Amino acid sequence: MSTTQVHANLTDEQVREISGNLDEPEWLLETRLEALEALEELDMPDVIRTPGRDWTNLHELDFESLVDPLNAAENKDQVGPDEVDVLPWAEAVDEHEELLKEHFGSIVDPQENYLTALSTALFSTGTVVYVPEGVDAEDVTIRTEQNSRSLFNYTLVVTEESSSVTILERQSTGEEQAEQYYSGIVEIAAGENSYVQYGSLQNLSEDAYNFTVKRGVTDTYATIDWIEGNLGTQLTKTEVSTELNGDSSETQIVGAFYGHNDQHFDLDVKVWHRAEHTTADLVTRGVTDDVARSVYEGVQDVGRDAWDTSSYQRENTLMLSDESEADASPKLIINNHDTEASHSATVGQIDAEDLLYMTSRGVDPRSARNMLVEGFFVPVLEEVDVDELREDLEDLVAARLRQRT
Amino acid sequence: MARLELNNLHAEVAEGDEKILEGVNLEVESGEIHALMGPNGSGKSTTAKVIAGHPAYEVTDGEVLLHLEEDEFGEEIEIDEDQRTWNLLDLEPNERAALGIFLGFQYPAEIDGVTMTNFLRTALNAKIEEREELFEGEEGDDEDEADEGFETSPMEGPADEGEVGVAEFQEILQEKMEALDMDERFAQRYLNAGFSGGEKKQNEVLQAAILEPSIAVLDEIDSGLDIDRLQDVSAGINALRDEQGTGILQITHYQRILDYVEPDHVHVMLDGQIAKSGDASLAAELEDKGYDWVREEVYGTA
Repeated sequence: MSTTQVHANLTDEQVREISGNLDEPEWLLETRLEALEALEELDMPDVIRTPGRDWTNLHELDFESLVDPLNAAENKDQVGPDEVDVLPWAEAVDEHEELLKEHFGSIVDPQENYLTALSTALFSTGTVVYVPEGVDAEDVTIRTEQNSRSLFNYTLVVTEESSSVTILERQSTGEEQAEQYYSGIVEIAAGENSYVQYGSLQNLSEDAYNFTVKRGVTDTYATIDWIEGNLGTQLTKTEVSTELNGDSSETQIVGAFYGHNDQHFDLDVKVWHRAEHTTADLVTRGVTDDVARSVYEGVQDVGRDAWDTSSYQRENTLMLSDESEADASPKLIINNHDTEASHSATVGQIDAEDLLYMTSRGVDPRSARNMLVEGFFVPVLEEVDVDELREDLEDLVAARLRQRT
Repeated sequence: MARLELNNLHAEVAEGDEKILEGVNLEVESGEIHALMGPNGSGKSTTAKVIAGHPAYEVTDGEVLLHLEEDEFGEEIEIDEDQRTWNLLDLEPNERAALGIFLGFQYPAEIDGVTMTNFLRTALNAKIEEREELFEGEEGDDEDEADEGFETSPMEGPADEGEVGVAEFQEILQEKMEALDMDERFAQRYLNAGFSGGEKKQNEVLQAAILEPSIAVLDEIDSGLDIDRLQDVSAGINALRDEQGTGILQITHYQRILDYVEPDHVHVMLDGQIAKSGDASLAAELEDKGYDWVREEVYGTA
């Protein structure tokens, strides 16, 4: 399977130029160059296979023409309250080099696969959110509007002891092109007894490709809650995951997606229980319409030392058309018997009895169906702390329903 | 005044050819209470579902007519002479509802994420709007129709206020809930989600009270109710008839509810037909003698 293409058009010089423009120290440049060199040997990330079928074929993507390393036009907003550092990458390099040295690439290995390495070698924009000890911060917002053919983005969140932060990250497309590629890596290091809610709303152009890995690591008593909303792109491959490394740490991973036309979503959700008394709750709900496809894989991995683990996973997909496709595989790996766990996945269509119940009370069939779909997302939306994210997700779902013929 | 008329109604399961209704004749008029009784599988629930327009059943013969009088929907809606009789089988379930048909479900659906308040206000407004379209026909432009009703969000209710606004609706809802002795917190709960069996049935009666149907078909509204709730539900049904003049077709297995909701007419269904009709005393006789007695009397065999 290792038919991964190496970029003939990517050079050391380009990587040096990107790094130099950001005034990066030598060790960062080295990390980038090593990632570039590793491309030759690295494979594409794992995709989900069902018998006789690869759902997502990343090899088909023509990265050669998609990637335009020195053009990274974007509009960016990076805002947050005063007590928190919300820094563009170059400023973070300047002000927090030790922090970056400690955390950059420590959670998502740059050489984990071909696409993480590509992202590491070429990222030209990024944000570092640093929350000092004891600070409670809300409304950190990172908006990225892509105006270039390719854009490689990096985000690092570090929370110190007993701090908390809610972050909303959103990606959209400004100037549309026939094909665009967005790549994002997010690392979160949640310090002892800290709380992070990281909400993401991906609403890129429906001609775009998207590869994202978001991963967090918890210290003792820390909590990382993810909200992962996917509406845009023609192909999205994402992973959202948490390593529960501290005793009594927790995570919740909440996902919502809505695919229509020929959109394709490949969604990985993972949790590794690596300490005692940890809790994970994975909840994803999605809709597929037209000829859209979704493939979901959720993994709860309970390690040998993860005594007293609680781990729950639910995934529900609602298919609005007969031609759309959805596959879901929840997986549970238990290496410690002291575990309470559940996992389930359903794929279904709108229930005819539910619809009749509503129409028999006078609601017209389209409104009834739309209420059912909007209601279907409510359990997920209820978990969102950030009003802007919840409201925008609601509006985008409502607008997409309205578009239906 | 309205009158529901079932003529020689034949129906079968849409997928397959299992015949369930084999010539049902029945009339229910506003202000009357009819009890439809019969053993399991005799076709009672199917009758109810066919009246409401359930897609799982195919009508193979006969008709379901609704006769309206000029002033059925008050002064605001004028019903021309040629619009006073409707063949319900030609209409969608929501159009039937707009004409005043209500089906109380034996197993009400649980709809997560849609609050009672939002749902009922949407239904009430949709019903008013659909009724205007049916009788005035001027807003029948399909595209207009398609654009409406989409401003609904399950959490906040329609942005487009509709005929009945949020504040006005809250008042109506509160009043009807009080009358039925329902906890007001129900209003903000999701439609039937996590309701007990009894709460669901109470909620069916509440919805009927709000939608003010001309004819309400209540499918085993009494099953699974404890005695207190049975009395609440019964009071609600009596109020529908007494205060709104609704005609009630009450489907039941048991004599029990008929002690509280006294029927004007009792019908016994056997093998997809109404085998015997009578007054309230028929229900009492059935309680004593069982359905075989009817079978014997009608067919001469047990």
